[in-house]
Amino acid sequence: MGVFLGTLIGVLPGIGPSGTISILLPLTFTFSPVSSIIFLAGIYYGAMYGGSTTSILVNIPGEAASVVTCLDGYQMARKGRAGPALGISAFGSFIAGTFSVVGLMFLSLPLSKFALLFGPPEYFSLIIMGITFVTYLAQKSMAKALVTAAFGFLLSFVGIDMITGKPRYTYGIPILSDGVGILPLVMGLFGVAEVFKNLDSPETRSLFKTKLRGLLPNRQDWKDSGGPIARGTLLGFLIGVIPGGSSPLASFASYAVEKRCSKRPENFGHGAIEGVAGPESANNSAFGGGLVTLFSLGIPPTVVSALLFAALMIQGIQPGPFLISEHPDIFWGLVASMYLGNVLLLFINIPLIGVWVQILRVPSKLLHPLILLFCIVGAYSIRNTLFDVGMMMLFGVLGYLMDKFDYEPAPLVLAFVLGPILEQGLRQSLRLSGGSFLIFFNRPLSAILLGIAGLLIISYFFFKKQREVLDVKDETA
Amino acid sequence: MMFRRIGSDVIGSFFWIGVGIFFAIEGIRLNVGTFKNPGPGFLPLIMAMLLILFSLSIFVMGLTKSRTPLSNIFWKRQFIAVASVFLYIFLLEFVDFLLSTFVLMCILFGTLLKERNKWIKVPLYSAVVAVATWLIFYVAIRVPFPFPRFISIWS
Repeated sequence: MGVFLGTLIGVLPGIGPSGTISILLPLTFTFSPVSSIIFLAGIYYGAMYGGSTTSILVNIPGEAASVVTCLDGYQMARKGRAGPALGISAFGSFIAGTFSVVGLMFLSLPLSKFALLFGPPEYFSLIIMGITFVTYLAQKSMAKALVTAAFGFLLSFVGIDMITGKPRYTYGIPILSDGVGILPLVMGLFGVAEVFKNLDSPETRSLFKTKLRGLLPNRQDWKDSGGPIARGTLLGFLIGVIPGGSSPLASFASYAVEKRCSKRPENFGHGAIEGVAGPESANNSAFGGGLVTLFSLGIPPTVVSALLFAALMIQGIQPGPFLISEHPDIFWGLVASMYLGNVLLLFINIPLIGVWVQILRVPSKLLHPLILLFCIVGAYSIRNTLFDVGMMMLFGVLGYLMDKFDYEPAPLVLAFVLGPILEQGLRQSLRLSGGSFLIFFNRPLSAILLGIAGLLIISYFFFKKQREVLDVKDETA
Repeated sequence: MMFRRIGSDVIGSFFWIGVGIFFAIEGIRLNVGTFKNPGPGFLPLIMAMLLILFSLSIFVMGLTKSRTPLSNIFWKRQFIAVASVFLYIFLLEFVDFLLSTFVLMCILFGTLLKERNKWIKVPLYSAVVAVATWLIFYVAIRVPFPFPRFISIWS
């Protein structure tokens, strides 16, 4: 059910996997924790598969990670090679998805044992490093990403203070004692804001008619795609492990690597199969990489894993180093479902391509009011209060304006989720040290994590300076 | 027009500085505590100060570097969408889910559809959507929608 819904969402432009997971998350309240996580994860990797179908056939990326696939996938379709493009995309996704599950299995356990060495100072430093990574990897400006991250942390402080029990920023509103809900926040920033953005632009969908022949790639296609799939899989997985290393970033990085590695870089953008195989593999394996950090350290590196984090918390399960030992059913259930889900996707995606294309014909002016209505019902059904609907709309307006002013919402959501852990880490560390900040530098692991964060900031300014010098040289030339 | 002359970064930074000042003042009121024993306002104050600091850097960049033009904001449709949802929240207190959803959908479809025969399509689509969502969310999933004070079709 999850992978089917995910593919459907991946096909439909207008609402990405983050918005969809947040809308459908309240449905999982009646599920068992294992089923809930399997369902939500299925939506995500289903969306990764679905997004590529429309990118190739109609040049419309269903979600952000499939934008790159449009470049060569659509050109292949125009040349009558839609079948091999879809085929290699499905096989590449399958191989990468399976590899990432294996990686998740083998990395999570040792990493979670290592994470048991973490105390409050290490958790504090880990979050500082994670947020530095997220803002460093921001596609727009690092300063703007830092602003949204700081705002995300501030929002996370709304509610009862966990140490003193004192209400903060609640102003006598009882429902705010539980804090700002993550689902109204994500639904607003990713669902409602997306609807508002789409209201701006008139509909410009044109469906390119192509006949699908021979979905199986030929021997030459496999020869050309083998390397890109292997590199994309590995690169995507590694990017996924890094906080902020999302699937879109993995697919863009893989495309750049393939173009550089290729003997015929001039073919890129004109229907090179490597430009489909690499990014499609990378965006699928990034998800598995992201789960490693979530399950071993309890730190969600992307918005989608933040939603899985929220889903676990709602089910009364604390993500962190103890998750695998205390709830092995959740971890191994998800691993098993991901194997099965990848096989299922391979078999449902290709025969249903015709159906997905037909779904694209639904006009967006009918779709957007529906998305808005689902957001309203989703936000209401979390705590059965209309207050959350109002909050969601406010975050929707904020998300829309943030987009207009070039601010990214992802650092805000991640900081919001990590805020309570950061605060607990800082306050407990200061109590332990008697008020000395040196505790973060005296402990080797904490010092290393802060050192990495420091290096990232220095390298950002260094490369920024270099870019400016190059820009000046370009202008004078 | 004024927005374009000043630049979006400067306007944006004003907003965030305002947010930062608000959180900082409230943080101080909450009791900041000491380094040895940080209070509930300790980290909010630090974060608010960082927010102000980062916003100031954007403000300075906005003044000194080339001004990023603000991409067009089309207020009308968004305003209707936001206003109709708040009207919907208000309506749900008095009228039941089916009727309120029908009204909401009529406003939204009415704003977006441009066809000549939209006055037939709008109520038709709205009725279909209202009934379908009621069946899915109330009958199948059992979401407890607020009980209306006045008009209710299903009870």
